[in-house]
Amino acid sequence: MVDAFVYLTTCSMKNRLRRRLQRLREPRYLVGLVVGLLYMYFMVFRRSGRPRPAGLSAIAAFAGPLQFVGSLFLLATAAVAWVWPGAGQPVAFSRAEVQFLFPAPVTRRELVHFKLLRSQLGILIGSAIATFFLRPGSLASGWTLMAGLWVMLMAVRLHLMGVALRRASLAAHGASGLARQWLPLGVVLGALGALAAVVAGDWQTLASLPGAGEVFTELQRLGSRGAAGAVLWPFRAFARLPLSASVPEFWSALPAALVLLALNYAWVLRSDAAFEEASAEHAEKRATARRAPRAVVRGTASTPFTLAAEGPPETAILWKNLILVGRYVSLRTLLRLLPIIIALGIIAQGQGGSGVASFLAAVCLPFAAFTVLLGPQMMRNDLRQDLANLALLKTWPVRGAALIRGEVLAPTVVVSVVAWLFILLGSLLAPRPASPGRTVAVLMANRASFATAAAILAPAIILSQTVVQNALAVLFPAWVTVGPSRPRGIDAMGQRLLMLAGILLTLAASLLPGTLIAGVVALAVYWITGATLVILPALIVALVVVGECWLAVEGLGRVLERTDVSAIDAVE
Amino acid sequence: MIDVQHLTKTYGTFKAVDDFSFRVDEGEVVGLIGPNGAGKTSTLRCIVGIQAPSAGTITLGGHDIVKAPVDAKRRLAFMADEPQLFDYLTVMEHLRLTARLYRVRDVESRAKVLLAELQLTGKENALPAELSRGMKQKVAIACGLLHDPQALLFDEPLTGLDPLGIRHMKETIVSRGRGGAAVIVSSHLLHLVEEICTRIVIIDHGVKIADGTLDELKARPELAAAGSTLEQIFLTATAGEP
Repeated sequence: MVDAFVYLTTCSMKNRLRRRLQRLREPRYLVGLVVGLLYMYFMVFRRSGRPRPAGLSAIAAFAGPLQFVGSLFLLATAAVAWVWPGAGQPVAFSRAEVQFLFPAPVTRRELVHFKLLRSQLGILIGSAIATFFLRPGSLASGWTLMAGLWVMLMAVRLHLMGVALRRASLAAHGASGLARQWLPLGVVLGALGALAAVVAGDWQTLASLPGAGEVFTELQRLGSRGAAGAVLWPFRAFARLPLSASVPEFWSALPAALVLLALNYAWVLRSDAAFEEASAEHAEKRATARRAPRAVVRGTASTPFTLAAEGPPETAILWKNLILVGRYVSLRTLLRLLPIIIALGIIAQGQGGSGVASFLAAVCLPFAAFTVLLGPQMMRNDLRQDLANLALLKTWPVRGAALIRGEVLAPTVVVSVVAWLFILLGSLLAPRPASPGRTVAVLMANRASFATAAAILAPAIILSQTVVQNALAVLFPAWVTVGPSRPRGIDAMGQRLLMLAGILLTLAASLLPGTLIAGVVALAVYWITGATLVILPALIVALVVVGECWLAVEGLGRVLERTDVSAIDAVE
Repeated sequence: MIDVQHLTKTYGTFKAVDDFSFRVDEGEVVGLIGPNGAGKTSTLRCIVGIQAPSAGTITLGGHDIVKAPVDAKRRLAFMADEPQLFDYLTVMEHLRLTARLYRVRDVESRAKVLLAELQLTGKENALPAELSRGMKQKVAIACGLLHDPQALLFDEPLTGLDPLGIRHMKETIVSRGRGGAAVIVSSHLLHLVEEICTRIVIIDHGVKIADGTLDELKARPELAAAGSTLEQIFLTATAGEP
């Protein structure tokens, strides 16, 4: 049976590579490849050419702390897989694999072997890319890093597969499953309990330490001895491999890691869990999610507003696209933003801010800029999303321009509201100026003026980018990703970089006329009255940009009316 | 009502539809049949404005689909073989959106009747993901019928429907035809076409092979021997069988 799996794997690899090469015939991928390669050249090779500090590599210099952090990360990965509800994904198979392999005379053990075989390529490529980007100081540390990463990721893969099988068994057998799986569950819970007890026992010392560096050193000390040391040992055994300070250290760490790898392998193969049903269901869900514009609809929350029976079609399309936002945003989506908020907070505090209000204000301003510049690329509830439904849209009795206007409204509204929120919070929470007397009032008034100007400009900048994004969807539909699936590879990366550069360039061009007019007006007022205007120039820029967008949408509407759906999807 | 004159549709160098002309008058139910790749879907997509004709004209109620698309589209409904619904709109929201786009005022009362007719009562707040394929098909049909279109185009209308749904669908098509709408039904199910269509158009390799009532087709000696069924006529016309 292994030869069949090897055949399937090698054929898939070969054909995928051939397809990647074939698509280079299309200019967009060829241009993308050139841009992607240039990007990699400048990001990796040119940086490599810079003088590096003499002596040990960065890994060797920080081997101890890195290994500690690595072992904690591995522990967290394992613990989350065991404990977090919904984290235990079933052993993942594609729909084709389910259809061909599940009814075939193949044992479960062979299926598990097949999944392990398939995962090898991804793990190897992942290890090679990580080594490539991390650029270890020497060839020796290069191969130890890559080999170590490969063993470590293989162990993670095996363990997660084992967890998935155990969880499948627990789900299938309930209480009797618990009786059968008590040992691994007990080990995980016991290990987490031991770690918590060690930290609790040393809490007074930890709390009394002055800084984060000292706390880290103390935690590292705790993790290297006693019960915590024992709990972290298997994780450190894997973390030591890629993060070895030297080749001899790698060789000394290898036996323990290989033994643990073998134990995980034996543990996975011993599983008798019937995973087929859960895997088949999972494959269906994944396939459905790929076809759908986004992953899963979260439920039928109330609509953003009541759609009146009569009115322009733009409002109806706005209503439709706003519904999408309410039905896809989930707690998980918000939680994904948490690390960014924390990172920005740390940066802001590191720059001398103090107090919760000033910290929030410092966080809000970069967030506002991030929202205005990148929000339109992330919020795709417009024609980029609806391109998959273009056949339906084209049957509507709506002018092309009206359709595009309706489509660009939703992301503009949503991103603008978010940007306004950050601008408002940033200006309200920023610390009061320390100058005495009347100067404070002047500075506060100036702040209000700048905040108002930013609030006026933000929607215009967002609208301009959204129109450009939708223009790309209309003019070059083949360049736009329809739905959630995204092409991979250096060529696809180059394509995205090229599009981003084009969008930013177009944004700059769209701002130029308004800025020139506003500049002339502001200068004239300054010469005549001596007053420096802020809000009026912003208003002029915004109005000019909106006017440009209106004209662009009118033109795009005509193109959309002529667009052949066969340029986007298959025909009979 | 539907007037297709000298329609040609090409994809690159491939000619999917070649100088195809036919008319569908009010009250007619025309069956458009042909083998796979004959050009049926391309023809339907050109009629409803999804694709632009490479040559020829298409008018709906006197409105050219290319020159006056909004007026033409307001009169028609297209029910594709694969129902296209928005994943994040409920059944009722689909109807409200359609009503707004097609300027239907009494959406609530019309929707109630349509949902009952299509056995969708109780599913008003369901999302497409919660519906079977057949139910999604019915939602698409409900949206299509909401504005009481004068021209209806069905592409494989029975796909995914259960026996009761098939029966209701046939009744729906026939009743719309009797109500004065011009209807085109594209299907490989020849017994369906034979049962509900008042006229049949056969297309192959993008070219019209035959056009007429079943009796007229049976009367053509090059297509049918005495007592021929539509299946035999179809196979002879498309050279599937001598």
